Amino acid sequence: MDRQQSNRGIAGQLRSVLASLPPARGLLPLIVLLLVWQMLQPGPSPYFPGPLQWWTATVTMFGREHLIAAFGATTWTFLEGLLLAIVAGTGLGLLVGISDRAARALQPLLEFMRAIPPPVTVPVASLLIGYSESMKLTVVVLSALWPILLNATSAVRQIDPLLLDVARSFRLTAWQRMRRIILPAIVPSLLLGIRIAIPLAIVVTLLVEMLTSLPGIGALMIRSQRNFQSSEVYALLVLVGLFGFVVNDLFAVIEGVIMRRWPPRS
Amino acid sequence: MRDLGRVVGRINWLGLATITLGFALWELLLRAGFAQYQNLPAPSAIANGLVEITSSGQLFADTRHTLLSVLVGWTAALVLGVVSGLLLGASSTLRRYSLASIEVLRPMPGIAFAPVALLLFGFSLQMELMVIILPALWPVLINTMGAVLGVHARLFEVGRTFRLSQGEILRKIMLPAALPGVLVGARLSMTLALVLAIVAEMVGNPAGLGYAVVREQQAMRPELVFAYVVVIGALGVILNAALTGAVAVLFPAASGRLREAG
Repeated sequence: MDRQQSNRGIAGQLRSVLASLPPARGLLPLIVLLLVWQMLQPGPSPYFPGPLQWWTATVTMFGREHLIAAFGATTWTFLEGLLLAIVAGTGLGLLVGISDRAARALQPLLEFMRAIPPPVTVPVASLLIGYSESMKLTVVVLSALWPILLNATSAVRQIDPLLLDVARSFRLTAWQRMRRIILPAIVPSLLLGIRIAIPLAIVVTLLVEMLTSLPGIGALMIRSQRNFQSSEVYALLVLVGLFGFVVNDLFAVIEGVIMRRWPPRS
Repeated sequence: MRDLGRVVGRINWLGLATITLGFALWELLLRAGFAQYQNLPAPSAIANGLVEITSSGQLFADTRHTLLSVLVGWTAALVLGVVSGLLLGASSTLRRYSLASIEVLRPMPGIAFAPVALLLFGFSLQMELMVIILPALWPVLINTMGAVLGVHARLFEVGRTFRLSQGEILRKIMLPAALPGVLVGARLSMTLALVLAIVAEMVGNPAGLGYAVVREQQAMRPELVFAYVVVIGALGVILNAALTGAVAVLFPAASGRLREAG
């Protein structure tokens, strides 16, 4: 008992101060890895170029200016595709979910569409649409659509029927019912669907660029790899990693802000 | 007999009818010439394509390659993920000094490893496995760690009271408590492994179903592209059902939570 108390004294204080610090010391293994890597392989190498070489390659690529344009193209396709998927997924999800019969009729078809791994949409769209910007966008929308659509559908179907009865007794119009009851009820599930859709959309955006050489980071990665520019390949890997990290955290922030207005989930 | 009736009753006839009707309409519109898209095959052509690749043995070889890669990569990710997840869940020091690194690496899109893997291993199976294992690791690791952290502290105290050894605590308390989390992670990781295998075969290793789709697209055989897409979708459904079924048989207690997490 005594020991625990003293623990909570000095050591405990120290621990709580440490715990309140940003968890940056968790980055230690990564930093050690990069340092060791740099020490073992300071120069260029066809397989494991040192991390400082990656940095040089990044600066060179920025100098050649196509890096910013490529990032712009990738980010734009990703965002545009995701937004379209959110709008279409929510709309279709509402339509399907509102009618019990429509939901039963379409569920197996939608489930099968979701089961198809999104990457295979790329060759199919290449066949039907050809190599173009609209094909790139179509493919991203199609991969991000299903999780959003299915989550919206099931959220609509799970709305407490009592709420809809209340709406009827208050003689709300269809539009009011949508805005006051249905939309607020499905927002949490919708956010969950979007969180599942985001990594899929990123992967498919990069894949399209890799397979079709439409401008973007994916095309740049494959080109660097084909030219055996190993430092560039690693540099781009780090940049794409950062991109994923930023998108992920940005969405977490947005989700947090939106969810603050919703009651906590049980 | 009543069982049969219940099964028949549970089949979503309306859903099946919709799919059948959709295919019939698709076929009719193409036959009648109302819709004439270049490279859009009719369902009958796709069915013929399926017969063609099945009888030539191509489908079997492609499916075997993809299935093996997925299973090998998934198993490796599972082992690595469970071991590191247990370690991270058990040791707060380890967690403190590595969680931030994991949070930096985890959102990295799996496909970004493909060019590096190509650089290191060329067009080979190793490349495919690297692309599968690295991203498929995270769901298992995170879910295992979360499950261990969710174990009530009193259970460990009980273990200590009974003077269980470290090994016994691991075997009798941590593993059973972590099992549902491990299974949820395993299922997510399986879906991911299939997606990544297809990706790796498309951009790197020239084998398997992913490569087959790209190959037939470049050969301008739309009916074969669609046939392979159907097979890939079916493979996803079958893998998922097999895992859920295996869990229901092996760990009936945990299977309910797995379905909820689905």
